[in-house]
Amino acid sequence: MKTKIGQVTALGLLMIATAALAQSKPVAGEVAEGSLKDKTLTFVSYGGIYQDGQIAALKEFVDKSGVTLLSDGPTEISKLQAQVESGNVTWDVVDTGDFPPYVYCGKLFQKLDFSKIDTSNIPQGQISDCSVPAMNYGVVLMYNTEKYKDNPPRSWKDFFDIEKFPGSRALEGSGDLSGGMIEQALLAAGGSVENMTVADIDKAIEKVKALGPDTIFWKTGADSQQLAESGEADMIAMWTGRAMTAVKNGAAYTPAWQDWLVVMDQMTIPMGVKDPDAAHALINAYVGKSAQETLAKTTSYTPIHKDAKPEVDEVTAAFMTNTPDKLKLGYQQNIKFWVENFEVANEKWNALMAGN
Amino acid sequence: MATITTDSRNTGPAVAADDRRRWFRGQAFWLVAPALLLLVVCLGLPLAIMTLRSFSEPQWGWQNYAWFFGTPVNLTVLQRTFAISAWVTLVCLIAGYPYAYVMTAVGPKMRLVLILCVLVPFWVSGVVRTLAWVILLQDSGVINSVIRAVGLSPVKLIRTQTGVVIGMAQVLLPFMILPLYSVMKTIDLRLMQAARSLGASPARAFAQVYLPLSLPGVYAGAIIVFILALGFYITPALLGGPRSTMLSTLIQNQVLSLLNWGRGGAMGVVLLIATFVLLALAAPLSRQPHKTGSTR
Repeated sequence: MKTKIGQVTALGLLMIATAALAQSKPVAGEVAEGSLKDKTLTFVSYGGIYQDGQIAALKEFVDKSGVTLLSDGPTEISKLQAQVESGNVTWDVVDTGDFPPYVYCGKLFQKLDFSKIDTSNIPQGQISDCSVPAMNYGVVLMYNTEKYKDNPPRSWKDFFDIEKFPGSRALEGSGDLSGGMIEQALLAAGGSVENMTVADIDKAIEKVKALGPDTIFWKTGADSQQLAESGEADMIAMWTGRAMTAVKNGAAYTPAWQDWLVVMDQMTIPMGVKDPDAAHALINAYVGKSAQETLAKTTSYTPIHKDAKPEVDEVTAAFMTNTPDKLKLGYQQNIKFWVENFEVANEKWNALMAGN
Repeated sequence: MATITTDSRNTGPAVAADDRRRWFRGQAFWLVAPALLLLVVCLGLPLAIMTLRSFSEPQWGWQNYAWFFGTPVNLTVLQRTFAISAWVTLVCLIAGYPYAYVMTAVGPKMRLVLILCVLVPFWVSGVVRTLAWVILLQDSGVINSVIRAVGLSPVKLIRTQTGVVIGMAQVLLPFMILPLYSVMKTIDLRLMQAARSLGASPARAFAQVYLPLSLPGVYAGAIIVFILALGFYITPALLGGPRSTMLSTLIQNQVLSLLNWGRGGAMGVVLLIATFVLLALAAPLSRQPHKTGSTR
């Protein structure tokens, strides 16, 4: 009897402890039943299939917590700035590009409370003080297989070598600077990324200019896809999603994965939101396994939960960036450098984009 | 004609007209009040705030303007913005003038068809029309396919200034044709016949009679097209390359990517002032032919 009581007590204690633990330690994807009843959250992203997929990924969270989820967008940092400065923040969780949560951490975005978000399944090096990744994708070198037949380019170094690999090039010119691309240009110019200086940006930009006057700077993802499908550029630095769609549409292009650039959207919480706890709960649900699988299935972006196994077709799977072989070849830009030199780097990039 | 109206001011009916005008002036304010309110709230106020911020951010002073004029790329792009707008205006004028003339000369049914031809594209979103131009102008596009089919060497159209000018001119053409038409339809074509009967060649009759009378339409159309072209954003972004970037793109970069409202504001103010200066220079031109044409 005594032992039995002891066992029961021990079991009871264990249960209490687990319950307490469960309360203090969040599990990605989970939210307490009815915990956000009568609350409203506004989720802001870039619209289209992407935001639809995100909302679909959050359906379980909405159903279980009882929250009313509103959708707004597209994300514009200038609009967010206006909200924060006027003290009337209506955006609770905001999906942004790579840099903003680094550049405006503590100014426009609040530092996240990681006791409320389970980050244990997110890929290494993708979490910042003010953000967790919303999904992954990549900038990958796509080349025309008919043009380069037996001697295909293998890396960005080949991309920037027009003597060995003649042909036209296309790069992203949508306005936002791509630090990784500049770093690759610098490497091709014989520089070093580790101790990069502002002067090195010029060196890299010279290397981009050396690609010649016919270099194309595509403005939108659709633009880059069109370049591949019409075969107008022989090598294209392309977003993986657009590369995948182009291949599906019959473009005779194939990726060279060496040093593909890791890119991600970020999940952030603005300064001064009315209910930070609810916003954290949304993010914690969003990074869960099944949410990420839904997201990947609906958008074909790469999930950021390491165990997520979305059911996708063959071509889509070929462009998912989280397989071990691709992760090994991936390249992460020196975010610290770009954040410190954000303004001057943008100025130089914009000058290139304006034809100067 | 101008002399006749001036003289009639002293006669009886004109006095009544004067009274009516005085009454109208009192009421006029209320008639324009809604539009005025809209202008002040939606244009004047933001413009004032933008101007203020161009001086106040990050500190008070001229720093944003010093930056603008001290950065070569800004000046290049400013100059380019005016050059592209001037080209677009010229192309619209060359394409629109004969078109508007034909509109005045044909029967009502044909005129309706011509008006629809101008207006239907006008009802389609500018983005859609611009994307259609991408398909037409690209290296493997319709135009180059035709050129290749007839055995000529393809021309580079997309991502060039030529491509941008073509695309913008198409978008802006209605703004040239409609003012031209509204002036041309008031021109009495018998004046041309009179000139011809007095021995003028067709070219001379056109140059000395028709052209001067149509000039108000030319100026109105040119000014509208030119000013609208200055602020173009989507068309140069999609049809152009780096060498056809216009100022609005740089402003967008400053404000939306860098949150630098001060510099963005300064760029806007510079563009605005440059436009006013240019209009002020063009204003005397638009009045001159009337004065020489009238008996005053």
